[in-house]
Amino acid sequence: MPRVNIVAINLFLAFHLIAIICWCVPLNLPLFPLCRRLVRPYFLWAGLFQTWDMFAPRPWGSNSYVEAVVIYKDGSRQTWSLPRMEQLSLTERYFKERYRKFSEVLQIEENDALWPDAARRIARLNSTPSKPAKTIILIRRWSPIILRPDGSYQPEPWDQHVLLGYGVKPEDLR
Amino acid sequence: MRVRLRSFAGAWNRFFFAKQSPVPIALFRITYGLLLIATLVLLRPDWLAWYGSHAWISLQTMQTVEPGTRINLFSIIPQSDGWINALFWVFLGSTILLTLGFLTRINSVIVFLCLTSIHQRNLFITHGGDTFLRLAGFFLMFAPAGAALSFDRLLRIWRGKMKRGTELGARPRPQRPWAQRMIQIQLCLLYFAAFCAKVKSPVWLNGTALYYVYHLDSLRRFPVPAWFLYPTMLKLESWSALALEFSLGVLLWVKDLRYILLALGLLFHLWLEYSLNIALFQWDVLSAYILFVDPADASRAWNWIKLRAAGSN
Repeated sequence: MPRVNIVAINLFLAFHLIAIICWCVPLNLPLFPLCRRLVRPYFLWAGLFQTWDMFAPRPWGSNSYVEAVVIYKDGSRQTWSLPRMEQLSLTERYFKERYRKFSEVLQIEENDALWPDAARRIARLNSTPSKPAKTIILIRRWSPIILRPDGSYQPEPWDQHVLLGYGVKPEDLR
Repeated sequence: MRVRLRSFAGAWNRFFFAKQSPVPIALFRITYGLLLIATLVLLRPDWLAWYGSHAWISLQTMQTVEPGTRINLFSIIPQSDGWINALFWVFLGSTILLTLGFLTRINSVIVFLCLTSIHQRNLFITHGGDTFLRLAGFFLMFAPAGAALSFDRLLRIWRGKMKRGTELGARPRPQRPWAQRMIQIQLCLLYFAAFCAKVKSPVWLNGTALYYVYHLDSLRRFPVPAWFLYPTMLKLESWSALALEFSLGVLLWVKDLRYILLALGLLFHLWLEYSLNIALFQWDVLSAYILFVDPADASRAWNWIKLRAAGSN
Protein backbone atom coordinates (compact mmCIF):
# COMPACT_ATOMS: atom_id res chain seq x y z
CA MET A 1 0.00 0.00 0.00
CA PRO A 2 1.42 3.45 -0.89
CA ARG A 3 2.80 5.42 2.05
CA VAL A 4 0.38 8.28 1.44
CA ASN A 5 -2.55 5.87 1.89
CA ILE A 6 -1.13 4.57 5.16
CA VAL A 7 -0.71 8.12 6.45
CA ALA A 8 -4.27 9.02 5.41
CA ILE A 9 -5.72 5.94 7.09
CA ASN A 10 -3.74 6.63 10.27
CA LEU A 11 -5.04 10.19 10.39
CA PHE A 12 -8.58 8.93 9.77
CA LEU A 13 -8.25 6.37 12.58
CA ALA A 14 -6.68 8.76 15.09
CA PHE A 15 -9.28 11.43 14.43
CA HIS A 16 -12.26 9.09 14.68
CA LEU A 17 -10.90 7.32 17.73
CA ILE A 18 -10.39 10.53 19.69
CA ALA A 19 -13.60 12.14 18.44
CA ILE A 20 -15.83 9.14 19.20
CA ILE A 21 -14.35 8.68 22.69
CA CYS A 22 -14.83 12.38 23.50
CA TRP A 23 -18.36 12.31 22.11
CA CYS A 24 -19.79 9.22 23.73
CA VAL A 25 -17.99 8.70 27.03
CA PRO A 26 -20.01 10.76 29.52
CA LEU A 27 -17.04 12.03 31.52
CA ASN A 28 -16.33 15.70 31.97
CA LEU A 29 -12.61 15.43 31.49
CA PRO A 30 -10.67 18.49 30.29
CA LEU A 31 -10.90 18.97 26.52
CA PHE A 32 -13.88 16.60 26.15
CA PRO A 33 -16.47 19.45 25.87
CA LEU A 34 -14.24 21.35 23.44
CA CYS A 35 -13.70 18.24 21.32
CA ARG A 36 -17.46 17.57 21.27
CA ARG A 37 -18.13 21.11 20.07
CA LEU A 38 -15.51 20.84 17.34
CA VAL A 39 -16.63 17.51 15.92
CA ARG A 40 -20.38 18.16 16.31
CA PRO A 41 -21.06 19.41 12.76
CA TYR A 42 -19.20 16.46 11.24
CA PHE A 43 -20.81 13.92 13.57
CA LEU A 44 -24.30 15.24 12.89
CA TRP A 45 -23.65 15.19 9.15
CA ALA A 46 -22.11 11.73 9.02
CA GLY A 47 -24.46 10.10 11.52
CA LEU A 48 -21.68 9.31 13.98
CA PHE A 49 -23.49 10.91 16.94
CA GLN A 50 -24.29 8.45 19.69
CA THR A 51 -25.44 8.18 23.31
CA TRP A 52 -25.44 5.00 25.35
CA ASP A 53 -27.76 5.91 28.19
CA MET A 54 -30.43 3.23 28.22
CA PHE A 55 -31.80 3.00 31.78
CA ALA A 56 -29.26 5.67 32.71
CA PRO A 57 -28.75 7.64 34.77
CA ARG A 58 -31.89 5.93 36.08
CA PRO A 59 -34.71 3.90 34.52
CA TRP A 60 -38.15 5.46 34.05
CA GLY A 61 -39.86 5.69 37.43
CA SER A 62 -43.40 5.22 36.19
CA ASN A 63 -45.58 3.27 33.82
CA SER A 64 -47.01 5.68 31.33
CA TYR A 65 -48.59 6.09 27.93
CA VAL A 66 -50.02 8.75 25.64
CA GLU A 67 -53.66 8.82 24.69
CA ALA A 68 -55.79 11.29 22.81
CA VAL A 69 -59.34 12.43 23.22
CA VAL A 70 -60.77 13.04 19.75
CA ILE A 71 -63.66 15.50 19.70
CA TYR A 72 -65.67 15.48 16.46
CA LYS A 73 -67.50 18.29 14.72
CA ASP A 74 -70.83 16.66 15.63
CA GLY A 75 -69.93 16.89 19.34
CA SER A 76 -69.22 13.19 19.89
CA ARG A 77 -65.88 12.08 21.28
CA GLN A 78 -63.71 9.00 21.56
CA THR A 79 -60.47 8.05 23.28
CA TRP A 80 -57.62 6.80 21.16
CA SER A 81 -54.23 5.56 22.32
CA LEU A 82 -50.86 4.91 20.73
CA PRO A 83 -50.20 1.15 20.58
CA ARG A 84 -49.39 -0.03 24.11
CA MET A 85 -46.93 -2.91 24.26
CA GLU A 86 -48.58 -4.54 27.28
CA GLN A 87 -51.81 -4.91 25.27
CA LEU A 88 -50.20 -6.48 22.19
CA SER A 89 -49.29 -10.05 21.34
CA LEU A 90 -45.64 -11.12 21.29
CA THR A 91 -45.42 -10.82 17.49
CA GLU A 92 -47.21 -7.48 17.41
CA ARG A 93 -44.76 -6.13 19.99
CA TYR A 94 -41.85 -6.84 17.63
CA PHE A 95 -43.54 -4.86 14.89
CA LYS A 96 -44.88 -2.03 17.05
CA GLU A 97 -41.97 -1.59 19.44
CA ARG A 98 -41.09 1.76 17.86
CA TYR A 99 -44.33 3.14 19.27
CA ARG A 100 -43.02 2.46 22.79
CA LYS A 101 -40.01 4.61 22.09
CA PHE A 102 -42.08 7.27 20.34
CA SER A 103 -44.54 7.39 23.22
CA GLU A 104 -41.67 7.88 25.70
CA VAL A 105 -40.33 10.75 23.59
CA LEU A 106 -43.75 12.41 23.25
CA GLN A 107 -44.17 12.51 27.02
CA ILE A 108 -41.08 14.66 27.56
CA GLU A 109 -41.96 18.36 27.87
CA GLU A 110 -38.85 19.42 25.92
CA ASN A 111 -40.27 17.63 22.90
CA ASP A 112 -43.39 19.80 22.76
CA ALA A 113 -42.53 20.77 19.17
CA LEU A 114 -43.57 17.23 18.16
CA TRP A 115 -47.06 17.42 19.67
CA PRO A 116 -48.86 19.33 16.87
CA ASP A 117 -47.59 16.84 14.25
CA ALA A 118 -48.73 13.93 16.41
CA ALA A 119 -52.12 15.57 16.95
CA ARG A 120 -52.53 16.11 13.19
CA ARG A 121 -51.79 12.44 12.49
CA ILE A 122 -54.24 11.31 15.17
CA ALA A 123 -56.86 13.60 13.61
CA ARG A 124 -56.28 12.01 10.18
CA LEU A 125 -56.38 8.48 11.60
CA ASN A 126 -59.67 9.14 13.37
CA SER A 127 -61.54 11.19 10.78
CA THR A 128 -63.82 10.31 7.91
CA PRO A 129 -65.23 12.81 5.37
CA SER A 130 -68.62 12.51 7.08
CA LYS A 131 -67.20 12.68 10.61
CA PRO A 132 -64.18 14.97 10.77
CA ALA A 133 -62.25 15.55 13.99
CA LYS A 134 -62.48 19.06 15.40
CA THR A 135 -60.19 18.97 18.42
CA ILE A 136 -57.45 16.61 19.62
CA ILE A 137 -56.43 16.58 23.27
CA LEU A 138 -53.14 14.82 23.88
CA ILE A 139 -52.91 13.37 27.36
CA ARG A 140 -50.06 11.73 29.25
CA ARG A 141 -51.23 9.09 31.74
CA TRP A 142 -48.88 7.64 34.32
CA SER A 143 -48.70 5.47 37.40
CA PRO A 144 -45.56 5.80 39.55
CA ILE A 145 -43.46 2.75 40.39
CA ILE A 146 -42.79 2.92 44.12
CA LEU A 147 -40.02 0.82 45.60
CA ARG A 148 -41.10 -0.98 48.78
CA PRO A 149 -38.58 -2.24 51.36
CA ASP A 150 -39.59 -5.89 50.89
CA GLY A 151 -39.27 -5.62 47.12
CA SER A 152 -42.98 -6.21 46.49
CA TYR A 153 -44.86 -4.25 43.85
CA GLN A 154 -48.22 -2.60 44.21
CA PRO A 155 -49.64 -0.79 41.17
CA GLU A 156 -50.36 2.84 42.02
CA PRO A 157 -53.40 4.84 40.82
CA TRP A 158 -53.15 6.48 37.42
CA ASP A 159 -52.67 10.22 37.10
CA GLN A 160 -52.96 12.33 33.97
CA HIS A 161 -51.66 15.51 32.46
CA VAL A 162 -52.84 17.31 29.32
CA LEU A 163 -49.96 17.82 26.91
CA LEU A 164 -51.79 19.69 24.15
CA GLY A 165 -55.17 20.80 22.94
CA TYR A 166 -55.11 21.08 19.15
CA GLY A 167 -57.75 22.63 16.95
CA VAL A 168 -57.87 20.61 13.73
CA LYS A 169 -57.71 22.68 10.53
CA PRO A 170 -59.37 21.51 7.29
CA GLU A 171 -55.96 21.25 5.57
CA ASP A 172 -54.77 18.84 8.30
CA LEU A 173 -57.23 16.25 7.02
CA ARG A 174 -56.30 16.47 3.34
CA MET B 1 10.77 8.77 25.10
CA ARG B 2 11.70 7.86 21.54
CA VAL B 3 11.69 4.17 22.47
CA ARG B 4 8.22 4.53 24.00
CA LEU B 5 6.92 6.30 20.93
CA ARG B 6 8.41 3.61 18.72
CA SER B 7 6.83 0.83 20.77
CA PHE B 8 3.48 2.67 20.70
CA ALA B 9 3.74 3.03 16.93
CA GLY B 10 4.63 -0.64 16.65
CA ALA B 11 1.65 -1.68 18.78
CA TRP B 12 -0.65 0.67 16.82
CA ASN B 13 0.55 -0.81 13.52
CA ARG B 14 0.16 -4.39 14.70
CA PHE B 15 -3.32 -3.67 16.06
CA PHE B 16 -4.70 -1.87 13.02
CA PHE B 17 -2.57 -3.13 10.13
CA ALA B 18 -1.23 -6.66 10.84
CA LYS B 19 -2.99 -8.68 8.17
CA GLN B 20 -5.52 -11.27 9.23
CA SER B 21 -8.21 -13.47 7.76
CA PRO B 22 -11.20 -11.48 6.38
CA VAL B 23 -13.59 -14.28 7.44
CA PRO B 24 -14.68 -12.55 10.72
CA ILE B 25 -15.59 -9.29 8.95
CA ALA B 26 -17.34 -11.29 6.21
CA LEU B 27 -19.36 -13.18 8.84
CA PHE B 28 -20.17 -9.87 10.48
CA ARG B 29 -21.30 -8.48 7.10
CA ILE B 30 -23.72 -11.38 6.70
CA THR B 31 -25.09 -11.06 10.24
CA TYR B 32 -25.30 -7.29 9.88
CA GLY B 33 -27.22 -7.66 6.62
CA LEU B 34 -29.65 -10.20 8.09
CA LEU B 35 -30.32 -7.92 11.06
CA LEU B 36 -30.98 -4.99 8.75
CA ILE B 37 -33.34 -7.10 6.66
CA ALA B 38 -35.17 -8.05 9.86
CA THR B 39 -35.28 -4.39 10.90
CA LEU B 40 -36.77 -3.42 7.54
CA VAL B 41 -39.33 -6.22 7.61
CA LEU B 42 -40.44 -5.07 11.07
CA LEU B 43 -40.58 -1.46 9.91
CA ARG B 44 -42.47 -2.19 6.70
CA PRO B 45 -46.08 -2.03 8.02
CA ASP B 46 -45.44 1.42 9.53
CA TRP B 47 -42.92 2.67 6.96
CA LEU B 48 -45.16 5.51 5.80
CA ALA B 49 -46.36 6.22 9.34
CA TRP B 50 -42.77 6.99 10.32
CA TYR B 51 -41.31 8.37 7.11
CA GLY B 52 -44.21 9.13 4.76
CA SER B 53 -45.64 12.45 3.62
CA HIS B 54 -48.15 12.39 6.53
CA ALA B 55 -45.85 10.80 9.08
CA TRP B 56 -46.02 11.16 12.85
CA ILE B 57 -43.31 13.78 12.59
CA SER B 58 -43.03 15.83 9.43
CA LEU B 59 -39.69 16.29 7.71
CA GLN B 60 -39.99 20.02 8.38
CA THR B 61 -40.51 19.54 12.13
CA MET B 62 -37.62 17.08 12.25
CA GLN B 63 -35.34 19.59 10.58
CA THR B 64 -36.48 22.27 13.03
CA VAL B 65 -35.93 20.26 16.20
CA GLU B 66 -32.71 18.63 14.95
CA PRO B 67 -31.09 21.30 12.80
CA GLY B 68 -27.81 21.03 10.92
CA THR B 69 -26.59 19.68 7.61
CA ARG B 70 -27.02 15.93 7.64
CA ILE B 71 -26.84 12.97 5.28
CA ASN B 72 -30.53 12.48 4.64
CA LEU B 73 -31.90 11.16 1.36
CA PHE B 74 -35.40 12.22 2.46
CA SER B 75 -34.41 15.86 2.05
CA ILE B 76 -33.40 15.16 -1.57
CA ILE B 77 -36.21 12.95 -2.85
CA PRO B 78 -39.71 14.33 -3.51
CA GLN B 79 -41.95 14.03 -0.45
CA SER B 80 -44.49 11.71 -2.00
CA ASP B 81 -45.36 8.30 -0.64
CA GLY B 82 -44.37 6.69 -3.95
CA TRP B 83 -40.80 7.95 -3.68
CA ILE B 84 -40.61 7.13 0.00
CA ASN B 85 -41.78 3.58 -0.70
CA ALA B 86 -39.23 3.32 -3.51
CA LEU B 87 -36.53 4.21 -1.01
CA PHE B 88 -37.64 1.27 1.12
CA TRP B 89 -37.20 -1.16 -1.77
CA VAL B 90 -33.83 0.28 -2.76
CA PHE B 91 -32.72 -0.03 0.87
CA LEU B 92 -33.98 -3.62 1.15
CA GLY B 93 -32.52 -4.66 -2.22
CA SER B 94 -29.15 -3.17 -1.42
CA THR B 95 -29.14 -4.82 2.01
CA ILE B 96 -29.83 -8.22 0.44
CA LEU B 97 -26.97 -7.71 -2.03
CA LEU B 98 -24.66 -6.63 0.80
CA THR B 99 -25.58 -9.75 2.76
CA LEU B 100 -24.76 -11.89 -0.26
CA GLY B 101 -21.54 -9.98 -0.82
CA PHE B 102 -22.39 -8.82 -4.34
CA LEU B 103 -20.88 -5.43 -5.27
CA THR B 104 -20.11 -5.30 -1.58
CA ARG B 105 -18.41 -1.91 -1.42
CA ILE B 106 -21.08 -0.06 -3.40
CA ASN B 107 -23.88 -1.72 -1.49
CA SER B 108 -22.28 -1.00 1.87
CA VAL B 109 -22.29 2.70 0.89
CA ILE B 110 -25.93 2.61 -0.28
CA VAL B 111 -26.99 0.76 2.87
CA PHE B 112 -25.20 3.27 5.09
CA LEU B 113 -26.80 6.20 3.24
CA CYS B 114 -30.27 4.69 3.55
CA LEU B 115 -29.83 3.68 7.19
CA THR B 116 -28.49 7.08 8.21
CA SER B 117 -31.32 8.72 6.28
CA ILE B 118 -34.10 6.86 8.07
CA HIS B 119 -32.50 7.67 11.41
CA GLN B 120 -32.11 11.34 10.52
CA ARG B 121 -35.67 11.41 9.21
CA ASN B 122 -37.02 10.25 12.56
CA LEU B 123 -34.52 10.21 15.39
CA PHE B 124 -37.22 9.64 17.98
CA ILE B 125 -37.90 5.99 17.26
CA THR B 126 -34.36 4.61 17.18
CA HIS B 127 -32.91 2.47 19.95
CA GLY B 128 -29.29 1.72 20.82
CA GLY B 129 -29.21 -1.27 18.49
CA ASP B 130 -30.13 0.95 15.53
CA THR B 131 -27.42 3.40 16.50
CA PHE B 132 -24.87 0.61 16.73
CA LEU B 133 -25.82 -0.69 13.28
CA ARG B 134 -25.44 2.82 11.85
CA LEU B 135 -21.99 3.26 13.39
CA ALA B 136 -20.86 -0.21 12.37
CA GLY B 137 -22.21 0.51 8.88
CA PHE B 138 -19.99 3.57 8.65
CA PHE B 139 -16.82 1.56 9.24
CA LEU B 140 -18.09 -1.40 7.24
CA MET B 141 -17.88 0.82 4.14
CA PHE B 142 -14.10 0.85 4.56
CA ALA B 143 -13.70 -2.84 5.46
CA PRO B 144 -12.78 -5.70 3.11
CA ALA B 145 -16.20 -7.17 3.84
CA GLY B 146 -16.48 -8.84 0.46
CA ALA B 147 -13.08 -10.52 0.57
CA ALA B 148 -14.56 -13.78 1.87
CA LEU B 149 -17.89 -15.63 1.86
CA SER B 150 -19.16 -13.43 -0.95
CA PHE B 151 -20.34 -13.46 -4.55
CA ASP B 152 -17.66 -10.87 -5.24
CA ARG B 153 -14.98 -13.41 -4.35
CA LEU B 154 -16.61 -16.11 -6.46
CA LEU B 155 -16.83 -13.72 -9.40
CA ARG B 156 -13.17 -12.81 -9.06
CA ILE B 157 -12.30 -16.49 -9.14
CA TRP B 158 -14.54 -17.17 -12.15
CA ARG B 159 -13.03 -14.25 -14.01
CA GLY B 160 -9.59 -15.72 -13.39
CA LYS B 161 -8.34 -12.87 -11.26
CA MET B 162 -7.48 -15.39 -8.57
CA LYS B 163 -5.79 -18.66 -9.26
CA ARG B 164 -7.15 -21.83 -7.81
CA GLY B 165 -4.89 -23.16 -5.13
CA THR B 166 -3.77 -19.71 -4.08
CA GLU B 167 -7.19 -18.37 -3.27
CA LEU B 168 -10.15 -20.66 -3.66
CA GLY B 169 -8.49 -23.87 -2.62
CA ALA B 170 -6.77 -22.20 0.27
CA ARG B 171 -8.01 -19.44 2.53
CA PRO B 172 -8.95 -15.93 1.39
CA ARG B 173 -6.04 -13.52 1.23
CA PRO B 174 -5.33 -11.84 4.62
CA GLN B 175 -6.41 -8.21 4.86
CA ARG B 176 -5.63 -5.19 7.03
CA PRO B 177 -8.29 -5.15 9.77
CA TRP B 178 -8.31 -1.44 10.66
CA ALA B 179 -12.00 -0.92 9.86
CA GLN B 180 -12.91 -4.10 11.74
CA ARG B 181 -10.93 -2.81 14.74
CA MET B 182 -12.97 0.40 14.72
CA ILE B 183 -16.21 -1.60 14.89
CA GLN B 184 -14.75 -3.61 17.77
CA ILE B 185 -13.73 -0.40 19.56
CA GLN B 186 -17.19 1.01 18.95
CA LEU B 187 -18.73 -2.03 20.65
CA CYS B 188 -16.46 -1.62 23.67
CA LEU B 189 -17.25 2.08 23.87
CA LEU B 190 -20.96 1.25 23.87
CA TYR B 191 -20.49 -0.82 27.03
CA PHE B 192 -18.03 1.56 28.68
CA ALA B 193 -20.18 4.64 28.04
CA ALA B 194 -23.26 2.81 29.35
CA PHE B 195 -21.28 1.89 32.47
CA CYS B 196 -20.13 5.51 32.98
CA ALA B 197 -23.68 6.84 32.53
CA LYS B 198 -25.09 4.37 35.08
CA VAL B 199 -22.38 4.49 37.70
CA LYS B 200 -23.14 8.15 38.46
CA SER B 201 -26.69 7.30 39.52
CA PRO B 202 -27.68 6.35 43.11
CA VAL B 203 -30.25 3.79 41.92
CA TRP B 204 -27.57 1.79 40.16
CA LEU B 205 -25.11 2.12 43.01
CA ASN B 206 -27.63 1.10 45.69
CA GLY B 207 -28.77 -1.77 43.50
CA THR B 208 -32.44 -0.85 43.04
CA ALA B 209 -32.35 0.20 39.37
CA LEU B 210 -33.58 -3.11 38.02
CA TYR B 211 -36.66 -2.99 40.27
CA TYR B 212 -37.92 -0.13 38.10
CA VAL B 213 -36.88 -1.83 34.84
CA TYR B 214 -38.71 -5.08 35.69
CA HIS B 215 -41.89 -3.18 36.57
CA LEU B 216 -42.14 -1.17 33.38
CA ASP B 217 -45.20 -2.72 31.70
CA SER B 218 -44.25 -1.56 28.22
CA LEU B 219 -40.86 -3.29 28.40
CA ARG B 220 -41.94 -6.63 29.81
CA ARG B 221 -41.70 -9.61 27.46
CA PHE B 222 -41.73 -12.92 29.35
CA PRO B 223 -42.34 -13.30 33.11
CA VAL B 224 -39.31 -12.94 35.35
CA PRO B 225 -39.09 -15.51 38.21
CA ALA B 226 -40.29 -14.02 41.52
CA TRP B 227 -36.97 -14.70 43.28
CA PHE B 228 -35.27 -12.44 40.72
CA LEU B 229 -37.15 -9.55 42.31
CA TYR B 230 -36.00 -10.12 45.91
CA PRO B 231 -34.11 -7.03 47.12
CA THR B 232 -30.84 -8.96 47.56
CA MET B 233 -31.11 -10.46 44.10
CA LEU B 234 -31.92 -7.05 42.57
CA LYS B 235 -28.77 -5.62 44.15
CA LEU B 236 -26.70 -8.51 42.84
CA GLU B 237 -28.19 -8.17 39.34
CA SER B 238 -27.74 -4.38 39.19
CA TRP B 239 -24.11 -4.59 40.31
CA SER B 240 -23.41 -7.55 38.01
CA ALA B 241 -24.77 -5.54 35.08
CA LEU B 242 -22.42 -2.67 35.97
CA ALA B 243 -19.43 -5.00 36.41
CA LEU B 244 -20.16 -6.74 33.13
CA GLU B 245 -20.59 -3.50 31.18
CA PHE B 246 -17.27 -2.26 32.55
CA SER B 247 -15.54 -5.56 31.74
CA LEU B 248 -16.94 -5.75 28.21
CA GLY B 249 -15.88 -2.15 27.68
CA VAL B 250 -12.35 -2.46 28.94
CA LEU B 251 -11.23 -6.04 29.54
CA LEU B 252 -12.45 -7.55 26.27
CA TRP B 253 -9.04 -6.73 24.81
CA VAL B 254 -7.32 -9.03 27.33
CA LYS B 255 -6.90 -12.22 25.35
CA ASP B 256 -7.12 -14.58 28.33
CA LEU B 257 -10.43 -13.08 29.46
CA ARG B 258 -12.00 -12.57 26.04
CA TYR B 259 -13.99 -15.78 25.58
CA ILE B 260 -15.19 -15.83 29.19
CA LEU B 261 -16.42 -12.25 28.83
CA LEU B 262 -18.01 -12.96 25.45
CA ALA B 263 -19.85 -15.93 26.97
CA LEU B 264 -21.03 -13.82 29.91
CA GLY B 265 -22.05 -11.03 27.52
CA LEU B 266 -24.00 -13.54 25.44
CA LEU B 267 -25.86 -14.82 28.52
CA PHE B 268 -26.51 -11.22 29.63
CA HIS B 269 -28.05 -10.25 26.29
CA LEU B 270 -30.05 -13.47 26.02
CA TRP B 271 -31.50 -12.74 29.45
CA LEU B 272 -32.40 -9.21 28.34
CA GLU B 273 -33.93 -10.61 25.16
CA TYR B 274 -36.07 -12.94 27.26
CA SER B 275 -37.17 -10.37 29.80
CA LEU B 276 -37.33 -7.07 27.89
CA ASN B 277 -39.15 -5.98 24.77
CA ILE B 278 -36.60 -3.94 22.83
CA ALA B 279 -37.03 -5.48 19.37
CA LEU B 280 -33.63 -6.39 17.88
CA PHE B 281 -31.35 -4.47 20.24
CA GLN B 282 -29.68 -7.54 21.78
CA TRP B 283 -28.99 -9.18 18.42
CA ASP B 284 -27.66 -5.93 16.93
CA VAL B 285 -25.08 -5.74 19.69
CA LEU B 286 -24.30 -9.46 19.75
CA SER B 287 -23.57 -9.42 16.01
CA ALA B 288 -20.27 -7.65 16.67
CA TYR B 289 -19.09 -10.41 19.04
CA ILE B 290 -18.13 -12.34 15.89
CA LEU B 291 -15.34 -9.84 15.32
CA PHE B 292 -13.68 -10.80 18.59
CA VAL B 293 -13.36 -14.46 17.68
CA ASP B 294 -9.86 -15.29 16.54
CA PRO B 295 -10.06 -16.82 13.03
CA ALA B 296 -7.66 -19.59 14.10
CA ASP B 297 -9.92 -20.49 17.05
CA ALA B 298 -12.98 -20.39 14.78
CA SER B 299 -11.19 -22.69 12.36
CA ARG B 300 -10.29 -25.12 15.17
CA ALA B 301 -13.89 -25.06 16.41
CA TRP B 302 -15.17 -25.71 12.87
CA ASN B 303 -12.82 -28.65 12.44
CA TRP B 304 -13.93 -30.04 15.79
CA ILE B 305 -17.58 -29.78 14.76
CA LYS B 306 -16.81 -31.48 11.43
CA LEU B 307 -14.96 -34.29 13.19
CA ARG B 308 -17.82 -34.77 15.66
CA ALA B 309 -20.33 -34.78 12.82
CA ALA B 310 -18.25 -37.31 10.89
CA GLY B 311 -17.89 -39.42 14.06
CA SER B 312 -21.63 -39.47 14.69
CA ASN B 313 -22.21 -40.66 11.09
